[in-house]
Amino acid sequence: MDIHTSDLTVDFAHRRLRAVDGLSLRIAAGEHVALLGPSGAGKSTLLRALLGAVCATGSVRVGGMDPYSAAQRRAVRRATGVIRQGGDLVPGLTARTNAFMGSSPEWTVRDWLTVLCGRVPSRYAVRLGTLAERHGVAESLSAPVRELSGGQRQRVALIRALLPGPRLILADEPTSGLDPVNAAAAVDALCALPGSVTVIVATHDLAVAGRFPRILALRDGRLAHDGATIGAEIYT
Amino acid sequence: MTTTSRWVGTAALAVVLGWAVSGSGVSVAALVQGRQGAAALIEGFLSPDLSREFLGDVAAAVVETVQISLTGLLFAALLGLPLAFLIAGNVQAPRPLRSAARVVAAMLRGVPDLLWALLFVATVGPGAAAGAMALAVHGAGLLAKLCAEQMEAVDPGPVEALRLTGAGRPATAMLAVVPQAAPGLASLLLYQWECNLRTSTVLGFVGAGGIGQELAISLKLFRYDELSTLILAILAIILVVDRASRAVRRRLGATS
Repeated sequence: MDIHTSDLTVDFAHRRLRAVDGLSLRIAAGEHVALLGPSGAGKSTLLRALLGAVCATGSVRVGGMDPYSAAQRRAVRRATGVIRQGGDLVPGLTARTNAFMGSSPEWTVRDWLTVLCGRVPSRYAVRLGTLAERHGVAESLSAPVRELSGGQRQRVALIRALLPGPRLILADEPTSGLDPVNAAAAVDALCALPGSVTVIVATHDLAVAGRFPRILALRDGRLAHDGATIGAEIYT
Repeated sequence: MTTTSRWVGTAALAVVLGWAVSGSGVSVAALVQGRQGAAALIEGFLSPDLSREFLGDVAAAVVETVQISLTGLLFAALLGLPLAFLIAGNVQAPRPLRSAARVVAAMLRGVPDLLWALLFVATVGPGAAAGAMALAVHGAGLLAKLCAEQMEAVDPGPVEALRLTGAGRPATAMLAVVPQAAPGLASLLLYQWECNLRTSTVLGFVGAGGIGQELAISLKLFRYDELSTLILAILAIILVVDRASRAVRRRLGATS
């Protein structure tokens, strides 16, 4: 899915903060992009704005759809897989339930009954098994989320995002809190996504950003750089 | 604050408290006047009626009280939990429905359970059914408020994460809100059961069945030996339920 924003601005009036300031950018369908910037640069807010989750002015189009239109917001979100910092999994449930709940907008009444009985609907079972195997959490699927390590949680969150077959992946600090090995595995998984999926990874880590062919650097809510490489000057 | 104003404040407080005590009629003279009644009461309490026939009546009343409390809890939950879903801010129910649910819940819990019992006795006649209905209606209002607050207290991260997948309100509530709030909700239901049990012991005074009805009869007949047995039975069931509910709540990981 291609992304186009024009003069996008997000204000948090209660904090007297302009998180995103007149941002205009284009990302082609299938591009893999790193959104780089220090904490507070507006990366997470921009990702949320692409899904119509924060009040914004200006215009946003995701795959030609307007996430700020009530009629199209759900379609944009259904086509998008979101990976958030720390995974944001539901702690009272197992890794398995968390891993396939991203597909809930597609569930039929029969699927819901299967889920309420504690089982995975058959049409997701094979794909869930394949993804769990590929990302090394097949053995942990039955475990409650609270028993998983940070790396396992992040991988379950990745599976939750991938299971419905998204055309856009938005990952917000996917390596935050992970050790170097798990962080590298998380970035590898995102880099390995096929060209049919547009990937935007928000990170404050230069090394992580360097793994992506295009880097968009944000500073104070504005686009400070758009290119293939960038140095540490973004933080100065 | 100066010393003078502190003295004036203390004197004003003393005057208000003295006015309240004298208005309520509490005095040493009243206690002295009632010494004969107190002696009879203590005498009866020290010799509880443990006859087989009366113990059989007490057991039947205890069973009915437990039945009233459980039935009241069941219907309070069936009515109160859907209201709680509508009220909880993070479920994001449509605004008119949310407002309506708030008003209904406030009305249900605003009327005291004893008054509900009187209304149901007048409607369905005296007996356990009136007591169970009173507990259900009042409990529904309480559960709606408390469970909604429990749901609103969950970690908002997983809730938003699911909402961003395009999940609707009911799906988000079922998959992200309820699983996080479940231990707290179970704890609230158990606590409500304890409250139901305590309340159902007095509902009988207005004809709503249970052990309270036996209490009222014994009190009217000045049968303090029977009263003693009944109070001991009430204490026993409350202690058992309190222990059991605390054990279950601890198991669920709830703090209260």
